[in-house]
Amino acid sequence: MNFGKQTNLPSTNMFPNLNHYLVLAEKIFFILGAVIYFIFSLVVVKQTTTMSKNVQDKFNAILIIFSYLHLAFSLLLVIITITIL
Amino acid sequence: MPRSPDLDTIAPDDKVDSPAPKVTVSSPDIPIPSTPVPVTDVHPAPKSHLKPNYFDTPGFHKKVYDILGHTKTPFSSFLVRPDIFTFSEKDDDEEILLVLRPHWFTNVGWIIIATLMLFVPLLLPYVPLLNNFPPNYQFVAVIFWYLITFAYAFEQFLSWYFDVYIITTQRVVDIEFNNLLDKKFSEAGLGAIQDVTSRVSGVSQTMFNYGTVLIQTAAEVNQINFEKVPNPDKIVKILGELRETDQPSLNQHVS
Repeated sequence: MNFGKQTNLPSTNMFPNLNHYLVLAEKIFFILGAVIYFIFSLVVVKQTTTMSKNVQDKFNAILIIFSYLHLAFSLLLVIITITIL
Repeated sequence: MPRSPDLDTIAPDDKVDSPAPKVTVSSPDIPIPSTPVPVTDVHPAPKSHLKPNYFDTPGFHKKVYDILGHTKTPFSSFLVRPDIFTFSEKDDDEEILLVLRPHWFTNVGWIIIATLMLFVPLLLPYVPLLNNFPPNYQFVAVIFWYLITFAYAFEQFLSWYFDVYIITTQRVVDIEFNNLLDKKFSEAGLGAIQDVTSRVSGVSQTMFNYGTVLIQTAAEVNQINFEKVPNPDKIVKILGELRETDQPSLNQHVS
């Protein structure tokens, strides 16, 4: 009677690569999300520029700078996602 | 008794039977065009004949400041005769009297939400499911989250900042950006304004003195609403003043 004791039998895992596929799916999910977000940030830049052309006020330049910073960070996110994941 | 054709003696709604105009053709050789001739207005209605004389005078400016007061901060929702502000559809001879944005209190909701979103990553260790993710995935997820938080706050701010209501010496204008790339521009000439009413309802609107100004017009857009704008009573007053000033122009439109 050796219930609860470890044995030296080989692993009987039927899906040895499941974890690998899961990680791959996560990676694809993150990269896809980052790319879509980058496209969204491009739209934000376009939107801010268009709005600033239509309505000109004191802080338009600051808002455009913020939109470009947002674009830069989203590009950074794409790069980070591809490199470190 | 036959009706008198004299315009001085007939009532305004009396029907006057005038003889039908005779059509005379000078020569049968001249061809009559089958296509309709475009009708041009011989006497186009002037935009406003008072502008150069009255709206540029210091007396008028003083009256505007007396009614509206002076703008204190550049981020104000109530900009009186702003120096820098302009919009793409503005005419050269048009002067901006008042620029309105929704009251600052309308921003409180999204500011609270964005602030709460900032603290969400701190809860990450308390969610067991997310702890199974490798640390580099968690790092990317946190960056992603902060970018989404920034984008949310930025979009809300843009929506507040660029949705403006403008009163000029010639018209009232409503510029709205509903979502990312949807712009709506509505305008009505001062002479076309028929009725102006304001509505302040609810606790916050009463406390902070903001509300909706409803402008009924005879223009293509029959109603322009200035929503959640500060000092609605002052706006009604200045529009009333402008309508009185623009009355000769209105009369000319009618006649």
